[in-house]
Amino acid sequence: MSAAQSFAAPARFPSPSPLASRRIWSIGGGKGGIGKSLLAASLGAELARMGKRVVLVDADLGGANLHTCLGVAGPPLTLGDFIQRRVERIEDVAVETGRPGLRLISGASDFLSAANINYAQKLRVLNRIKTLDVDVVLMDLGAGTAYNIIDFFLASDVSLLVVVPEPTSIENGYRFIKSALYRRLRRAAQGDEVRRIVDCALDAKNPSGIRTPLDLLAAVEREDRAAAEALRRELRAYQPHFVVNQVRGEADAAIGQQLVTACARHLGVRATYAGFVRYDDAVWRCVRQRRLFVDDPEGGRPSEDVRQIATRLLQGESLTLPWA
Amino acid sequence: MQNVRGDHYEVLGIEPSASGDEVEEAYRRCVVLYGEGSLATYSLLEPEEVEAVRARVHEAYSVLRDPDRRREYDAALPFEADTPEPPEPDDVRAEPGVLPEPVTGADLRRVREERGVTLKEIAKASKIGVRFFEYIEADRHADLPAVVYLRGFLQEYARAVGLDPQRTAGSYLARMARGASGPRDRSA
Repeated sequence: MSAAQSFAAPARFPSPSPLASRRIWSIGGGKGGIGKSLLAASLGAELARMGKRVVLVDADLGGANLHTCLGVAGPPLTLGDFIQRRVERIEDVAVETGRPGLRLISGASDFLSAANINYAQKLRVLNRIKTLDVDVVLMDLGAGTAYNIIDFFLASDVSLLVVVPEPTSIENGYRFIKSALYRRLRRAAQGDEVRRIVDCALDAKNPSGIRTPLDLLAAVEREDRAAAEALRRELRAYQPHFVVNQVRGEADAAIGQQLVTACARHLGVRATYAGFVRYDDAVWRCVRQRRLFVDDPEGGRPSEDVRQIATRLLQGESLTLPWA
Repeated sequence: MQNVRGDHYEVLGIEPSASGDEVEEAYRRCVVLYGEGSLATYSLLEPEEVEAVRARVHEAYSVLRDPDRRREYDAALPFEADTPEPPEPDDVRAEPGVLPEPVTGADLRRVREERGVTLKEIAKASKIGVRFFEYIEADRHADLPAVVYLRGFLQEYARAVGLDPQRTAGSYLARMARGASGPRDRSA
């Protein structure tokens, strides 16, 4: 399947469930090594501690390691068994983690083609995940902007985007936001001409001078006003939540707010700021010992930050820093 | 870049009612956001874009921080300070958002001139050729495009001059459908 073909996903692709439920959460970020898996594990642990029934899904299909973050052994059954149909029900690959209320569906790193699951397999995973009888499904996505990652991100009710205060991470974060948005717009685009314009926008050096989603909407508007209105609705509904990880001071924490402003002004994207997690040596010490920092008495500050993020997301709130 | 092309208030990201302190605060935030080494904008904007935004921020701030210049600027803003949005259909304003029927091209022109909006501005904002708006005002119905397009043109026009888009377009089209033509014909 060529890139162009796989991009033309049929309309029946699952969209997020109704807003009220806010059940499916995903954590992406574009770049590796920025703490997505640790955030997923700790967020899952805190949600469970708050009394929520949670299933963590390691959707980093080529490089699953969420079990290690949680300090449990690689489970005998993984998402791979479900994808390969060795197991029929997705519940059967959800294993206990030793924490009340928190189960884990481990990633499919047990077969080497796992990172390249096809469209039908992806659809089956997503549809079954939605049937899980829990309060929150928390998906840890892999690094990069491959469609397999972006599609999980777009199918979520709460899409978290993790960055660390470093240029490389933020550059990849923006790329992730744009890639996911263009895929969403491409799926919603009606008519060959409008689709052609969206495809054109995917090429960052396109001759039409479309550099941002706002340029894209203006170009579609010239062609087809109704189509532009439909795309504008998609743009409005697209609301990623930023999490700034490894924060070392007020200026770092303020970056989340600046990202929200910059997204609104220059991309037309209405992102929100879910919160930040302070840097603490206790976190990497715990990682080395294959323990989760929220269990460590010295991991108090980052644990508190994760708890606040969980609370905000459950209540549909966002963070505003008075001094940022 | 949309918002930084807007008026001074949009550039700083504040309401036209913002206090002096809020102007200072917003300016300080913009300086950080578009400053050297700002992580949030460095990979998002090209260097020349950042340059342009900084110039706009500075311009906006230099006007809004000065009460006299701000008053002068506010007075020159179209409609109430900083409301490029059209009034909502139900919006009760001093000036009527709905014209009495039937709506003629001349009626539209009168409202437009009263509000100080030029056809060129409407054409630019709507990306519709200026000649279509000239035909609308002149009631040159034979030169106008099919109703399916014309309705959109009329709505754009109405929006730009602060009239109710749906009702204005509907009323103009209804009169047109009855075969009336010429700016002086007001009989139903």
